[in-house]
Amino acid sequence: MYRSSRLLNFATILLVALSASACAMFQTGETKLQAVKTVGIISAVGGAMNIARAGLTGLNNNPSQSFPIGSWGLDDLIVQQATTALNGRFQVQPVSYNRAAFAAVKDSPIAPVNLVRGDPFKKLVQAEVSPQGLDAYIVITKAKSNFGRGARKVEGIGFLTYGTVLASYNQIHALYEIRVFDGKTFDVIEKKSAPPMDDAVEVKLPGPTRQVDDSYSPGTGEPVRNENLHRAITDLIVRSLSTTLSDMHLADVR
Amino acid sequence: MKHAVQAGLHSSTSGGAQRTFLAALLTALGTIGAVSNTASAQTVFTLPAPPFELPMVPSVSGNWTVMVGVGGDYKPDFEGANRSMFSPVPIFSIRRAGSTEQFRGPRDSASIALIDFGDLRAGPAGKFVSSRKASSYSELNGLGDVKTTVELGGFIEYYPVDWFRTRGELRQGIGGHHGVVADLSADVIVPVIQRLTLSAGPRFTWESTKATSPYFGIDAVQAMATGLPAFNAKGGAHSVGAGAQVSYRINPQWEVHAYVEYERLLGDAAKSPLVTLRGSPNQTTVGIGASYAFDFKIR
Repeated sequence: MYRSSRLLNFATILLVALSASACAMFQTGETKLQAVKTVGIISAVGGAMNIARAGLTGLNNNPSQSFPIGSWGLDDLIVQQATTALNGRFQVQPVSYNRAAFAAVKDSPIAPVNLVRGDPFKKLVQAEVSPQGLDAYIVITKAKSNFGRGARKVEGIGFLTYGTVLASYNQIHALYEIRVFDGKTFDVIEKKSAPPMDDAVEVKLPGPTRQVDDSYSPGTGEPVRNENLHRAITDLIVRSLSTTLSDMHLADVR
Repeated sequence: MKHAVQAGLHSSTSGGAQRTFLAALLTALGTIGAVSNTASAQTVFTLPAPPFELPMVPSVSGNWTVMVGVGGDYKPDFEGANRSMFSPVPIFSIRRAGSTEQFRGPRDSASIALIDFGDLRAGPAGKFVSSRKASSYSELNGLGDVKTTVELGGFIEYYPVDWFRTRGELRQGIGGHHGVVADLSADVIVPVIQRLTLSAGPRFTWESTKATSPYFGIDAVQAMATGLPAFNAKGGAHSVGAGAQVSYRINPQWEVHAYVEYERLLGDAAKSPLVTLRGSPNQTTVGIGASYAFDFKIR
């Protein structure tokens, strides 16, 4: 009896000590952000729109097609919206960067390779962004996800037609993730994908998405000319950005 | 405990035990249904942020979807048996909110896609094969027990189009058998409407001698004890069959599914006296299930 009581006391002390040291060693992103005063914002999400088909696709297994939508200015919009959201807490400074280099980064399809090579944007933030020396850099880039239960993957800004036996449905998405890099060590302080919003969709995605009717369809293959599509994508980004920044403890906008 | 439940559900037992189980099943579903009245498609509750984060480990903050449910399999007592029993199966999964579960066949082993090109996936796979106790079934009296087996190996699957999946698994047994098992399958996945998906396709299994012999071989001592003729079971084509499943999402929270898998034993598995004299080469499994999903958030 006495022995088990001693063991229990020892286990309790050990647990408390481990918890305390873990808290000290592995600070949360929120704790690390407390020291950040100046930030720069980089966005490389909105240069292209991917158009794809999923579900019953016939015998075609065409990969998604990519169309330029740079003239929509989505990246400038993202930087502007994020700057407004963050300005209360941080001093946001304009930065210049090679947007194409950030947009070109892809995860390896071999998961262990991603683990070994570390964050692919770290070197880009060090080499392609100026000025250096800010406390943190916020990098907003495309995210990727599986769509439905089959083989289709979707990325960034996109329009997808999902075919079933009885009907087909259109869905748009704006999948992106936000990283906060320490301006000195270039380690990732915080990373988060934009979460799904409350829009009703039949095929879920782990990011902002909504179902749309045929008037949003790029049809002729020129999505940049479709104003409905432009407005809908912009709305998805604007609504989700404030939520995501708030979830990352970067902005208190909700 | 599980064994006791299964014994009570054996098809040869009285209908009272089955009625008891069905009552328990309905009660469980009713309990989940009661929870659903208070839950919605939105976040049900929010947990505080963890006090610390581990390096290299993705942050747990964000929205998560939990799926709980109950199901059951009506399957042969043991491989080669001609009688079946119903076994309850709990359903539980947790994943990032919004992510969809990839297509999964009822016979698939647990697996992780470490290589994922979208249409081509591969990675480790593992299966747990329950022990076979000779004392559990009269047909096995006199045969030795076969211990629990863990089969470890890998899988590869390829989607030529979004609605057609081919999959292969190769696993090495550890424990009850020390042989090699290869499973091949193909499934046509047809979304009838967005909420209703049907899938079906052929199956084939190959097993080495070391994987077949413990379950279908009968040595001289066992032959004396059982009255069955001695039989040296060798490996090779083990079974061929087909399977089909249907899943229906009632609403964002509730989903029900059902499946049937048929396999015909081949080669020495089918020729074993255990199967020819006391069992059947026709093996059918039927499964049903209902699950409820809700979201929660970690700050």
